[in-house]
Amino acid sequence: MRMPGEDPSVIKQLVRLSTIGVALVAATAIGLAIGYGLDRWLGTSPWLTLTFLLFGIVAGFLNLFRDVGLIGRHD
Amino acid sequence: MTTPPSSRGRGFWLLLGALVLVNLTLGYVYAPAHIALQHPPVVQLPNFLAVIGVPGQYLPGHVTFTWLVMAFLVIGSYLGTKAMKPVPGPLQNVAEVATEGFVGFLEQMIGPHGKMALPLIGTAGLFILTSNLLGNIPGFQPPTANWNTTIALALTVFLSYNYFGMRRHGVGRYLKHFAGPIPWLAPLMVPIELIGHLARPVSLSIRLFGNIFGEESVIVILLSLSWLVMPYLIFLGVMLPLSLFTAAVQTFVFVMLSTVYIAGAGEESHDEGH
Repeated sequence: MRMPGEDPSVIKQLVRLSTIGVALVAATAIGLAIGYGLDRWLGTSPWLTLTFLLFGIVAGFLNLFRDVGLIGRHD
Repeated sequence: MTTPPSSRGRGFWLLLGALVLVNLTLGYVYAPAHIALQHPPVVQLPNFLAVIGVPGQYLPGHVTFTWLVMAFLVIGSYLGTKAMKPVPGPLQNVAEVATEGFVGFLEQMIGPHGKMALPLIGTAGLFILTSNLLGNIPGFQPPTANWNTTIALALTVFLSYNYFGMRRHGVGRYLKHFAGPIPWLAPLMVPIELIGHLARPVSLSIRLFGNIFGEESVIVILLSLSWLVMPYLIFLGVMLPLSLFTAAVQTFVFVMLSTVYIAGAGEESHDEGH
């Protein structure tokens, strides 16, 4: 099955690879920000910060693995 | 230089040393006046937005230059497509090549219905490319070197791809995809997917802004060391080609990621089956 965004060109794949780092950090930061905001709102420090930081890290790695899987596809 | 130089050689080194000392002194005395950041941009508009609370004597540079780029693109597109001829003139040729390039790219990435994203992706791509290239002209600020511009672009893309997804699959089916394929994992998957999606505009905007702003800052600092003559050579020989390359690559990255997001929102529900 053809995945959306699949492209055989090497340069395009390199460009896509170059975008992974920022995406990983952004997901982690977003998770941390949401958790910190919720903690300040609900006063449950530090549990929501930690939970959402974990969610953010997982989300970052999930996106990373999806991207890498998309890049490494040869079918 | 361990061996004692000949008298002629010593004179040369003395001259060079004196030159460097003089340059260093003059540089430290005059350098602040030459720092490119302190040079006013070539286009400045009086701050007529002061009535709604925008501070400053002039409008912020990135707003002025955003309007400049917009005017450039609007006038260029208008002139290029005003009188369409079977044998295109130069402007119409450029417009046709750009449009066909974007259409081809979108249809390759999204599929036969990819043309629907052309207004969004094409406009964003041309705007970003023009803005990035603008930074290479002395006295012009690239609007994309400011986070406000890039977050506006990225949020537009974010809202658009969610809208495209909802329009294609319906709101309920689109949102249901966030829960993932396994029902009992849904409470875990929803926040993770949400964070993953919220990270997209952030990473999209920070990548573009960071690259262009960083490149601008390096050039500014390099040129503020102008008492070394060398910076001009480094600027012309290294930084200018590099920033032209960055401008093209960052435009391509933004356009490609936006397209991938739109394609993903359009296709997502189909690969739940496997």
